[in-house]
Amino acid sequence: MEKFEPVIVAFCCNYCAYTAADMAGSKRLCYPPNIKIIRVPCSGKVDAIHIIKALEKGADGVLVAGCLEGDCHFKNGNIEASKKVTYIKNLLDEIGIGGERVEMVLMSAGMGERFAQTAIDITKKIRVLGPNPAKSFTPDKASNDL
Amino acid sequence: MQGQNTFKNNNTVLVIGGGIGGIRAAMDLAESKRDVVLIEKSISSGGLMTQLDRTFPTNNCDLCTLSPNLSESGRNLHIELLAMTQVAECEGEAGNFKIKLITEPRYIDLEKCTACGECYNLFPECVSFSPGLDHRAPTCMRYPQAIPHAYSIDINKCSNIDELVKVCKAGAILPEDTQKYREIEAGSIVLAPGAEVIDVDNLDSLGHAFYPDVITSLEYERILSASGPTQGKLIRPSDGKRPEKIAWIQCAGSRSIQEGAVSYCSNACCMFALKEAMVTKERFQDTIETSIFYMDMRTFGKDYESYLNRAKNDYNVRLIRSRPHTVLKDPETESLSLMYTQDSSNSNITENFDMVVLSAGFKVSDNARELAVKLGVDLNEHNFAKTDNFNPVATSKPGIYVCGTFESPKDIPETMVQASAAAFCASKDISIIPDSSEIIENLPPERDVSQEPVKIGVFICDCGLNIGGLINANELADYAGTLPDVKISKMIGHGCSSESMGNIRKIISEKKLNRVVIGGCSPRTHEIKFQDTLRKAGINKYLVEMANIRDQDTWVHFDQPGGATSKARDLIRMAVASVALSHPLKDKVFSINKDVLVIGGGVSGMNTALSMADTGFKVYLVERSGELGGIANRIRKTIEGKDVQSYMKGLIKKVTKHERIEVLTNSFIVDHSGKPGLFKTGLQTAPQMFYRQIEHGVTIFATGALAHQPEAYHLGRYKNVVTQLDMDAMLEDETDKIKSFTSIVMIQCVGSRCPENENCARICCLSAIKNALRILEINPKAQIFILYRDIRTYGLYEDYYKTAREKGVIFVRYEADEPPDVQVIEKELKVTFNDPILDRKISVSTDCLCLSTGLIADEESTEDLCRIFRIPKTSDNYFLEDHTKLRPIDLPVPGFFVAGTAHAPKTIKECIAQAQAAAGRANCMLSKDTLNLGAGVASIEKELCAACLICVRSCPFDVPFINADGYSEIDPAKCHGCGICAAVCPAKAIQLKQYEDDQVMAKLTGLLEGVN
Repeated sequence: MEKFEPVIVAFCCNYCAYTAADMAGSKRLCYPPNIKIIRVPCSGKVDAIHIIKALEKGADGVLVAGCLEGDCHFKNGNIEASKKVTYIKNLLDEIGIGGERVEMVLMSAGMGERFAQTAIDITKKIRVLGPNPAKSFTPDKASNDL
Repeated sequence: MQGQNTFKNNNTVLVIGGGIGGIRAAMDLAESKRDVVLIEKSISSGGLMTQLDRTFPTNNCDLCTLSPNLSESGRNLHIELLAMTQVAECEGEAGNFKIKLITEPRYIDLEKCTACGECYNLFPECVSFSPGLDHRAPTCMRYPQAIPHAYSIDINKCSNIDELVKVCKAGAILPEDTQKYREIEAGSIVLAPGAEVIDVDNLDSLGHAFYPDVITSLEYERILSASGPTQGKLIRPSDGKRPEKIAWIQCAGSRSIQEGAVSYCSNACCMFALKEAMVTKERFQDTIETSIFYMDMRTFGKDYESYLNRAKNDYNVRLIRSRPHTVLKDPETESLSLMYTQDSSNSNITENFDMVVLSAGFKVSDNARELAVKLGVDLNEHNFAKTDNFNPVATSKPGIYVCGTFESPKDIPETMVQASAAAFCASKDISIIPDSSEIIENLPPERDVSQEPVKIGVFICDCGLNIGGLINANELADYAGTLPDVKISKMIGHGCSSESMGNIRKIISEKKLNRVVIGGCSPRTHEIKFQDTLRKAGINKYLVEMANIRDQDTWVHFDQPGGATSKARDLIRMAVASVALSHPLKDKVFSINKDVLVIGGGVSGMNTALSMADTGFKVYLVERSGELGGIANRIRKTIEGKDVQSYMKGLIKKVTKHERIEVLTNSFIVDHSGKPGLFKTGLQTAPQMFYRQIEHGVTIFATGALAHQPEAYHLGRYKNVVTQLDMDAMLEDETDKIKSFTSIVMIQCVGSRCPENENCARICCLSAIKNALRILEINPKAQIFILYRDIRTYGLYEDYYKTAREKGVIFVRYEADEPPDVQVIEKELKVTFNDPILDRKISVSTDCLCLSTGLIADEESTEDLCRIFRIPKTSDNYFLEDHTKLRPIDLPVPGFFVAGTAHAPKTIKECIAQAQAAAGRANCMLSKDTLNLGAGVASIEKELCAACLICVRSCPFDVPFINADGYSEIDPAKCHGCGICAAVCPAKAIQLKQYEDDQVMAKLTGLLEGVN
């Protein structure tokens, strides 16, 4: 069998996390390419269903990254996102997929290092956890609609 | 100092200084349709603020709050930014200045530089960067979001110029670059050269020159900053160890008569020391000890006192009232010994610290002084630009205005206020440029793509070697060509060059493409450019999607080309899948009503109204009392000795006589509706209190504050217990009484800095000292005691404190938990207080007890107005601005502005500046005929809405409401575009345009297809 290469979806808010990821680039900080970023205006825009669908479609981990507490451009989007992530973690624990596949992190736009380190850490963690068990029982690719 | 003449000869404004003040001024001017030449002497704009890690009082990351402002300034059509440029000569006068500019060679072609950093990687020695602790600076752009977004070469330090030139694949290095001269004409000038940090090396007893671990606060900011030399790691410069005990020494170089120091107060240092200590504590909690040595804690700004209380109580920042005289290195422990004394002891205390931070203040640079001479602008005795009490941003020379720290030491919000005020004054002197309509006219009509099958064009940039050096861009383009709906896929070299943009445009038109994917750098910086390209090619600008294969791929995976290639494919696949579902969007554009509603007829309201009316707008000035003037009617003299009453008489006359101002006294606001640019406000107005509705485009709140009358120290019960405001009148009207006094006691902070009213009222120290000096003028033998907690004569007001001490006013400090005691014994007032130096109680019989009660927010009025207009207020009932740092005048809802003491307590001079600034901000909005709110707003599909109220509750800005038809409605004009409502809507009735759910899902599918 091939070496397991996890696919990790990172929802990054435009104002802080996405900028931090760009900053990691400006500073040429290496992290594993397993992380694929989806830009959202605010981490509060990330829907529970987006996270669940990502896992259903075969992602091995999901990262939601927002601004530092108190720094959210939209006042409290990051707090809302954190609540949602906690809720989903519990849900995933219940159904046996494991809540540790989903993570919320906060960072400022200047924290390129933190973004890179987060990417390294979560990839390492998901590698240890192994492939997303949901992959084996979701052959239905037509579950595209909400 | 300046008349009301307007000049029409020239419509360019020269803004000198590209710091945050200059940027704000330039942006305001451009927004109000004036051409701006913005010059900055260093290699990129941003000034001091870009060197800070975080800013008080929100502890926000500076770059996050600043960079949108910076990129706006770089992008704006009306602004020409010239870095490395200074004024060589200036002649002419208001309306017609002729200025010779000199630009130093950068050796880089700004058009070609892609900021890839290759030159820096191979030739770091050519770097010319020094914001403090420069030897480890990561790049020679001053900070990652620098504008211009380009490098700069110090050619003298370069050993092999030919090799350097070859390194740059974009061909941007110009070894033959030379100094350039240029002459421009300008109608007016805004001076924003900023200040420099006082050179603490001259203060030899503090050891900055010899001990590496004694650093300045700016150097400390750089150490904390994520973009700084240590990447945000807190380490001691001497040995790289993490310090466990840090001391801040306040007033290093300020409030001092030592050689090399300045005598004024630098205004912002108390707050930034508190901030640095708190940020440090936040990171390391109890594993670090932070101590601040200070003389007076000057936290006088809006909400600053609560910030101080948080530092003390929640963060355990240790505050020691003492001025350490010497810092020495302890030869045994290698740590720094601080020597100081305290009131309570009569011996020297020595304490060791790992690191000492000197809170070094501001001073005017030699460069700014020379500039003033070239321009013919008068300076005061501290070398700041001379301004007038009642014309706060005008310099001595007509047509030249000043803002920021070159006017006096100040923090960012005050700089922003002055910048908007200076921009407004400068814009009044010149005419509006005719609408830049030719740009719009040249655009081809937008093609209707709704019936066309999806035809995607993919363009891959190689960005020189930045992308192409690691992955094969041609192969990537070939791969993209195999994806569904992709009709053409090409590698285009540097995509952002004007040549490539032109090519893309041509291909879109020729191949009738209706969707575009750009594989290249970050959409944060380049999306707008490609959106423009689409629009110019005749299709809607929202039909483009960028795949970030540079910043988030090749730049971070250079260690594994294979991984980078497959990730690039993933990212392209995601973008293609998502763009296929995009559809044309219309920016929300509203035409606006240009009338102005100003609420409050005090000094701020009248100045705002007058400024707007002079600019040509119709103004409704609503005042609830029977006459104009507000509290200023009761103030006779400013601390500088200016006659307030004659100024007020003139102002009231101008306002009431103005043909475009309708004054509505005895009038109350009762209702409000509409959206920005199209407001309707109802009032009841005298004499019969009939209802009347006013239609207007902007609303300016200048409702002021109240003179505080707390129940304390028998105020109101004895006629010889008075407030500072009463004393002010007494000094003019009852000089005989003043002459009869032998002893006067003033008590500071009465009714402020206490649990009922937490914040500092800012003006009371100034009023006490003003009145004390005036008493001594009338009655030089009077004995005056001022009982205080901290004397807060911020900035240049320190001079008056010094004079008062020299003239014999006795200042005695008291602690909050041991306030002075006042007894009335047989109609005689006896004040008892503790003298901290003698450490014993002292009793004084006094003829007059004068209480510094300051201002307090008008709770009732603010609460009513906030409810009617749905705008937020602070916990102590002042209006809450949109951003305490960068937008102190704008309220969070577009179209609302605040001026004067309704924002926070301030002096008349500061009120007038803010009134002009509010007029300026309103003018920016009203200069356009329409308001564009972008397309990224939430919209509701009413059939799906179950009116469950979840969106209503979750919106951070209270925008959604359940309408009369029973479903939720979102006013696009008020929507900020965060999408929180869309995420929580259980029925999925809400979609956020540009980030619709099906697009997000398509990205997931695009990424994950084939994973199963």
